[in-house]
Order: sequence, then structure tokens, then C-alpha cells
Amino acid sequence: MSNTSTMVTLTIDGIRTEVPEGTLVIEAARQVGIMVPHFCYHPKLEPDANCRMCLVEIEKIPKLQTSCSTRVAEGMVVRSSVPHVESARKSVLELLLGNHPLDCPVCDQGGRCDLQDFSHEYTPTVSRFKELKRVFPKQYLGPVIETQMNRCVSCMRCVRYCDEVMDAQALAAEGRGTITQITHWAGNELECDMCGGCIQICPVGAITSRLSMYDYRPWMLKRTETICSYCGDGCQITVQRKDDQLIEVNSALGAGRNNGDLCVRGYFGYHAAEHPDRVQQPLVRQADGSFAEVTWEEALDRVARQFTRIKATHGSDAIGGLITTRCTNEDLYLFQKFMRVVIGTNQIDSGARYGHINGVRALRRVQGTHRWTIRYEDLAQADAIMLVGTNVNESNPITALHVKQAVKRKGAQLVTLESLLPVRSTVSNITTLSKHHLEVKSGQFSAAILGLVKAVVESNLVQEDVAREAPEFVQTIRTNVAKVSWDAIREQSGLSQTDVETAARTYSQAERAVVLVGREVLRSLGGEGLVTNLMDLQILTGHLRRSGSGLGCLAEGSNDQGAVEMGAVAEYFPGPAGLHDEESQKTLTRTWGQAVPAGAPATLPEVLTRARTGDIKSLFIVGDNPVESLPGDAGVTEALDALEFLVCQDLFLTETAKRAHVVFPACSAMEKDGTFTNTEGHVQSVRQATEPLGESRPDWEMFSALSVLMDHPIEYNEVKEIFKEIRGVIPGYGLLGPASTPPKVDEKTVAQYVTSGFKEDVDQRYTLDASPAAPEGALTLRLVQSLYHSGKYSTRAKGLMEIEGEGRLHVNAREAGRLGIEEGQTVRLANDGGQATVSVKLNDRVPDAVAWFPEHFDEPVRALFSLKVDPHTHVPVWKTAHVTVTKWSSTNRSIEERSRV
Amino acid sequence: MIFHKHQATVNDILSRYPVKRSAMLPLLNLAQKEEGYVSQAAIREIAGILDLTPPQVFETATFYTMLNLKPIGKFHVQVCRSLMCALVGADPLVDWLRKHLGIGLGQTTEDKMFTLSTVECLGSCGTGPMMQINDDYYERLTEDKVGRILKDLRETGDCSLKSGPFLVPERGEGVVSL
Repeated sequence: MSNTSTMVTLTIDGIRTEVPEGTLVIEAARQVGIMVPHFCYHPKLEPDANCRMCLVEIEKIPKLQTSCSTRVAEGMVVRSSVPHVESARKSVLELLLGNHPLDCPVCDQGGRCDLQDFSHEYTPTVSRFKELKRVFPKQYLGPVIETQMNRCVSCMRCVRYCDEVMDAQALAAEGRGTITQITHWAGNELECDMCGGCIQICPVGAITSRLSMYDYRPWMLKRTETICSYCGDGCQITVQRKDDQLIEVNSALGAGRNNGDLCVRGYFGYHAAEHPDRVQQPLVRQADGSFAEVTWEEALDRVARQFTRIKATHGSDAIGGLITTRCTNEDLYLFQKFMRVVIGTNQIDSGARYGHINGVRALRRVQGTHRWTIRYEDLAQADAIMLVGTNVNESNPITALHVKQAVKRKGAQLVTLESLLPVRSTVSNITTLSKHHLEVKSGQFSAAILGLVKAVVESNLVQEDVAREAPEFVQTIRTNVAKVSWDAIREQSGLSQTDVETAARTYSQAERAVVLVGREVLRSLGGEGLVTNLMDLQILTGHLRRSGSGLGCLAEGSNDQGAVEMGAVAEYFPGPAGLHDEESQKTLTRTWGQAVPAGAPATLPEVLTRARTGDIKSLFIVGDNPVESLPGDAGVTEALDALEFLVCQDLFLTETAKRAHVVFPACSAMEKDGTFTNTEGHVQSVRQATEPLGESRPDWEMFSALSVLMDHPIEYNEVKEIFKEIRGVIPGYGLLGPASTPPKVDEKTVAQYVTSGFKEDVDQRYTLDASPAAPEGALTLRLVQSLYHSGKYSTRAKGLMEIEGEGRLHVNAREAGRLGIEEGQTVRLANDGGQATVSVKLNDRVPDAVAWFPEHFDEPVRALFSLKVDPHTHVPVWKTAHVTVTKWSSTNRSIEERSRV
Repeated sequence: MIFHKHQATVNDILSRYPVKRSAMLPLLNLAQKEEGYVSQAAIREIAGILDLTPPQVFETATFYTMLNLKPIGKFHVQVCRSLMCALVGADPLVDWLRKHLGIGLGQTTEDKMFTLSTVECLGSCGTGPMMQINDDYYERLTEDKVGRILKDLRETGDCSLKSGPFLVPERGEGVVSL
């Protein structure tokens, strides 16, 4: 509600209150502490008034009114607990209970059930209904959801949530009257976002989770509020456990940046942390190559001695470090401090190198802050939202929810530049909400973004004051884009001039406009330049400095943003500050009690190259798994095998960790305290929800312990002390709650950029590289993010594996027809790099001539891809390949199997 | 593709409503006319036409008892079981039909000829007991008459005992105001 709205005074049960015009009576009552009982009402949903439970008496209205659908009016007098209101509620309950099985003792909702609570409050113990109750058989809606429709009170919250909030429309109210039941449709296996929202929003036990069926009673559960580690959205989750057993994860309405909504990974993915394959003891490689379980003392001692020896013999820069962005800020900070202070090297990098760094660098360069200048709330206020190269529903599902709400509730105009088709199905597809969907050919975002800028410049959409203040900037871009023809843009991106111009106009003319950029841009060659061009677009249309407008790069890792800010990337000290920033050097020297190392930094590809050439003798890899996150021709295994000494610190014995000399067992995010910084830049508390498994310890403790053994003690009593140090090093780095305001654009940086800064590379940024044409008849194979998984970590979560347990080749029906293949068939993919046999799944949102394969299961197809490294930012790019597809007949298969034997 | 050959009709139906979704019932009717029941393929197609998902079409279809979601026989015998017909023997009529067709309510004979169901008032209360078979009424029924009707339908596909129904002519056929 904006502050300008008119206030209305009303009386509820004798309490006078003032609420904004348009407030629902039930909400006004809640604000003065009166809970009007209800089933179908939910603050996230439009009023439906179907359950009739929230009836109240309103003076001068002859009949009782549903308070969930009646809006307040001046002078209204509401009574919620007079006898005939209570009697009406009793009647509603009597009707509901007339068909309810009263199986509370075996119901998972028992103890936190609205029907139970209201029955306790209102119902007499006798009922006039003597008839037999309806009986529905128990049904499973897909692998993770159970329905017990006998318990359903037909409030339709689940159906409405699925439609209004998720935009999936996957649930149906089948039948009518008392025999209404919630199903998918016609007995088909449930296909949807699997967000678990229907389970969370069900007021009774009609829809429950199969993962924790019959395992608990709600009052046995211990709850911990923490942050989900599956993506950069940073959702607040409530982890519930019974003794040491993880029972359930959910999220409370009003909590966190997600306001109680979760995605499939957050809701059903919690078992990854307690997978039986977890490394639970420190491991040391034996002479025969096998691992032996040892004590912490022995493992730490071995590592400390080796690091000390290598440092003494070959110098500090013979050691490098890599860390995953699933670590907390404290882990990341301490890791880079350990590497810089104890080892004495700047050769460190993190998972932010896989793409996030491209966005950060461009934002810093143009707007002076590497953070979003907007937040989720600005999406709701935006007049236009533009999504560029982000299948946001898959990569950042909760950001996607904010976009959906902005479009559906607030009428924001959505412009999408994506490589997917706007096909509606029961899995939500953000592009079906688009006003202008520009279907960009896979990997051709450079041409698409250039087209947008060209359209703005050539359709006179440049803001007058920009043209006046930075004439050279505008003119240079104008000259550059004039050199590229619309034909060339269409040829490469597949977009027509008219479509691009219409989209550009929608964006330019919006008062408040938000741009969200995703992996297709961030993880591409020249990604930094593409984001810079989008920043140029914002400058030209005047959105860069306008309040409520801005550009956000979507972080995929739970702490991509934090990794950069903690200085756990090659080019930055904590802050992030450049390695040559004197101010930062001074602060760090003072805080750390010794000078920062002067050696050259090394990015992930550089670290691997130096390892291969023997310049780096030892690597400390924390959680990262380069063997499985880079293709075969990246030479990761060769690099690791060339090392004298490899230390891995991980939850699992990954392909990388299997090559280590010592493996430290690390805690999952569920088992430790700390902070994550989400994609918006909100720093949020991660709290320990379960006991560390086996001997595993939080990452920072290992760094601290090693530092002591290496005679360079950096010690902390608890994790909060590290955060205190971070706050000293990065002024203002605090626990930024939901109310925090995003940083403003730095005017000086922008001024510098538009007068001279842009010249540095503007000519290169506004040219079209001839993209290598796909070989004749080849299919473009892309490794994509699946909604149901996150990295490789989620493939350890049994719930998610039940939903999607293997990688399949997604092609659309037209393409399948062209190739003569069908759903479920096995096909062979081949190119110069190798071959793979995979099974086929039809997916109508995959563009023509393209096939998708979920990256989480890329093991069989990784050989088909080859690595390219961005020459400027060193981001490894490899997730697109060209392959030929052939049907894999059973005869071929047997030959294959024989040859394998 | 059920609607492929009815493209003009579909366009005409769509043109009648400001909100696309409102065209759902006419399209469901069209699908049932075409196939005798509303198939899953039809539901998918309607969802595609109306920019909805199949569950949204399905739930609407399940609300209406006159839409069949399973294939039915060639002749759909629908006996009125509302009060007026019940008073003059709808129940014995249903029992007789069950016995002679060898099927229960909602079932179809093995030869796929007859499907039996009961329906609410068909507005022919003065001539009960009565039933509707496909689009035709059969009134003042007796055992003999019903026997003859079933025999005729089975043998010739038609029966001269039918009367009505007295429906509004299709659009464009004539002038009727109700």
C-alpha cells in the first residue's frame, strides 16, 4: 500500500481502527488481533469466498458477510463473535465435518490443521448427519505428493495458488459438489513445477508430502530458520527435524525474500545433505592409491607439512586455491585470507568465474557498484520488465515468481529475449506472460542486444538529456550500430527489425523498467561486453539513474555474489576492491597484520594451466569440482594429476576429490552458521539446522586449523567473529534485512564512463562476430539448467531424483518428427569429440533444430563439448555443441554392449 | 486433430466471446459431437486453442454430467429419473433396461451399441416415463415400446417411435424466439 492511499475508520468488535481504503475486513480484523476463522482465504490469493467460514455481521447489511471478500468502508461496524455469527460458523463446520474422515491420528497435518483448530473452537460434539461419508482412495500426485481427498474441504487454495501464484495451472477440481476432488487431469502423471506450494497452502491434510509421510507429529519437530543453498535467490527456509532426522523443509508466509514461497529444490531437495555417500572422515591417500580414514590431527598435519614444504621449496605461488560459491561468506573470506596471508598467493578463484563475474565487472565499470540498484519490490512497481537470456523460472524460480506477480497482478509489460518457445503447459513458462517475446537463436544474444540498442538509437528513443550531456557517447554508438544491418542481425539472432523495435519501444517508454540478465549472457564469450551493452541501453533510455529502474544479473550459486564481495575471485580483494586499490591494501594490511601478497592472481583456467605446466605444484580445492564442471578437453584431470599435492575439502568424493591426496570432510550449509549474500545483495543468516554428519566440520575451521599448524595463526572463537572482521574490511557490510535499500548508481563513475570510459572497447562491443555456422544437418545441443536440479549437488537429493532422475534429450515434437525419433527412444549423439547414447523426451518449449540436455546429468555427453575461454574475463564457455542424431536400433546397442564387454 | 476440419466453426465460436476462455463449453460440445465423447486429445486441443492448460479444460468438463469423458455406445439411452417420471415408473423402466441390456448405469453394452444412464428432468413431464436416446425423445414408455425401440435401433439404426426433441433450430435455419 502506498502512503498516499486514503484511510478508512471502522469498528471491529468494539475496537476502532484505521486502515487503508481497499483493505479486506478479515485483514483489518487481523491487524487489531482478531482472527476470523477461514479456510479458503489466503493473503497471497484473490478472495474466493467459497468456504463461508469467515462470516461476520456488518451493521446495516441484513445478511452475514464473508469478511474475506468484503472491503472496509468508512464507519463500518463489524461484529465477529456475536451468537448468530458463531452459530453460522458452527453450521459451516458441521457441513464440512459431515464428510471429513476425522482420521487425525494418522494425518500428517494433525496438530497444525485449521479444521482441527476451528473444530476445537466451535463445533458441538454431535452432528445431525447420519449419512455415509464419501470415500476417495488415497492418490499419489506424481512421485512426491500425496492426496487424501476425503480430508479436502474444497477451499480451492491449491488450485488457485497453482494458477495465480505459480502460473502453472496444473491442478484441477474434478467433479462437483461433495465429490469434488483435486487431481491433475484424467489420471495423467502430474507434470508441474513441483514447488510444493499446494502442500504448503492446504489448510488441512488433503495434500501432503510423500517424503515425510507418517514420519512425525508436528509438535515433535525442532525448527531452524536458515537460507536455501540451491540458487542465488536466497530463500528463507524452515528446516524441521525430529531428533537428528531431517523431516521437512517449508517456509512461512511473510518470511524472507521469498515470502513463504519455495521452488521444488527448496521444498523437496533437502535430503542432499544427508546422502549416505557423504565423506564423514578425513581421508589420506595411501601408497597403493586407496584412501584411508584418518583422524583430523593426522590429515591436518599432513596438509600443513606439505603446504609448508612446497611453499619453502617452490615459493608461495606454487600453491593455488579454488572454492565453491555454495560456501558462506565467512568460509569464502577466510579461504582467501588463508591463501593470501598464510600461503602468500593471489592465485585464488571461485565458482563466480563460471559467469557471475562477467556481470559484476560490467556493473562496476559502468555504474560504480557491482550490486543491483533494484530489489524484488521494484519488480512489483515496474512498468516494464525485460528478461535477457535467463530462463528465469529454471535458474531463479523465486525471482521468476516476483516477475509473474508483477505481470499478473500489477500489469507490468514483460519483454523476454530467450531461446525458448512460449508454449503453455502445466510447467510454468515465463515467456507465455510476455507482451513481446523475442525468440533469440541459441547463443546469439550478442546480435539480439545489439539490435535492441540499434532500435533505441534509430527510433529516436534516446533520452534528450543523455544526448545533450554525452553527445560523443550517443554519437559513437550511433555510428557503430549503423554499421550493422538489420539483415545481419536477423540472420544471426533470428529476430526481425519490427519485433526488436516494438520491444525496444516498450522498454524505453516505460517509466520504471527493470532488466534481468541470466546465464545465456553471463556464461557466454564476451559476456562482460554484452552486459555493458545492456548498461549502455539503460543509459540511452535514461533508466540507469531512474529510481526503481536498473539491471540485475541473476546469480546461480547461492553465494556467487558473496564470493565476489569476499574477494574469493582472482581480480578482487574483499569489497570487492581491485588488487591495486591502495586504500584496500592499507585496510587489509592493518586488519591482517601483514602485507597483502604482491604475486599475480590466477583465474580458474589459469590455475589449471599453471598446474599443467608445473608452475603450480599444489592446489587447495574447496567444494569446487572442475573435473565435472568443465568438459573433457579442458585438461582438468591432466592438470590435477600433474600436481604434487592436491587437497580437497568437500561433502562428497567427487571426481575431483577422488584425485586428491587428502580429503577433508566438510559440513553442508544445513550444518553450519554463517551468511549468504543473495542475488539482490541481501546478506542473510545461515543457521545450523542439523548436527555435522560424522567428523565433518565447517569449512572455515579447517582454514583456521591449518593456519595454526603452519605457524600463522588466524583464529576465531566462532563464526560471528569472522563476520565482524568482514564488516571491518568492507564498511557497511551488515545483515541487510528485507528493508534494506539497494545502493545508488555512482554518478562519478557513470560520468567518467559516458565521457571517456566507453571508448576503450566500444568498437569491439558493437560488432557482430561471424558465429561459426552449424554443420549441415547438425542439431545444436545445449546443456541447460533444469528446474528440478541445481548443479550436481541436487542429484544427491532423493526427492529431486524421484522427480528427475536421469538426463534425457529434450527436443520438440517437430524436431523429433524430422529426426524420426519418439519419446523414450534411445538415440546416438555424435560429433568430433565423441559420442553418447541418451533417451529422448519431448518438450515443446525447445526451439527447432535445438536439443536440450540437463547439465546436472552431463556425464555421458560431456565428451561432445569443447572448452572456450573468454579471452578477457577467463569465463569458461562450453555448454553448446553441434551433434548429429541417429536412431539407436537394438542391433546397434548389442554391438555397443559387446564392445564394452 | 479433431478441430482441424471445423476451423470455421471454431473461429465462429471464438468470435462470440470477448474472453477466449468463455468459448470452452461450445468447444467441448463440438468435441463431443465429433467423437461421441470428450477425449483427452480433444481436451489438449481445446487447451491449446484457448491458451489454457489441460487441467483447466478437464475440470470444466467434469463439472457437466452431459459431457462424457469416456467413449459411449452408438446409442446413449438417458432415462429421466426426476419426480414426475419416477411417479409413473421410471425406476421399473431403468431396471427393465438394465436387465435387457445386461449393463449397469454408466456402462456400455459389449457390442458398443447402448450406453445407459439416468438424467434429471428433460422437460417432458406430461408424457412420462420417458427417455432420450441421442437427440431423440421417446415418451409414454411401456415395456413393449422400449423393447421395440431397442430392437429397431439395433437393427436399423432408427425408430419411428421417436418424437422431438423440440429444439431451437440451428442458427440461420429459421426464426424462433423462446
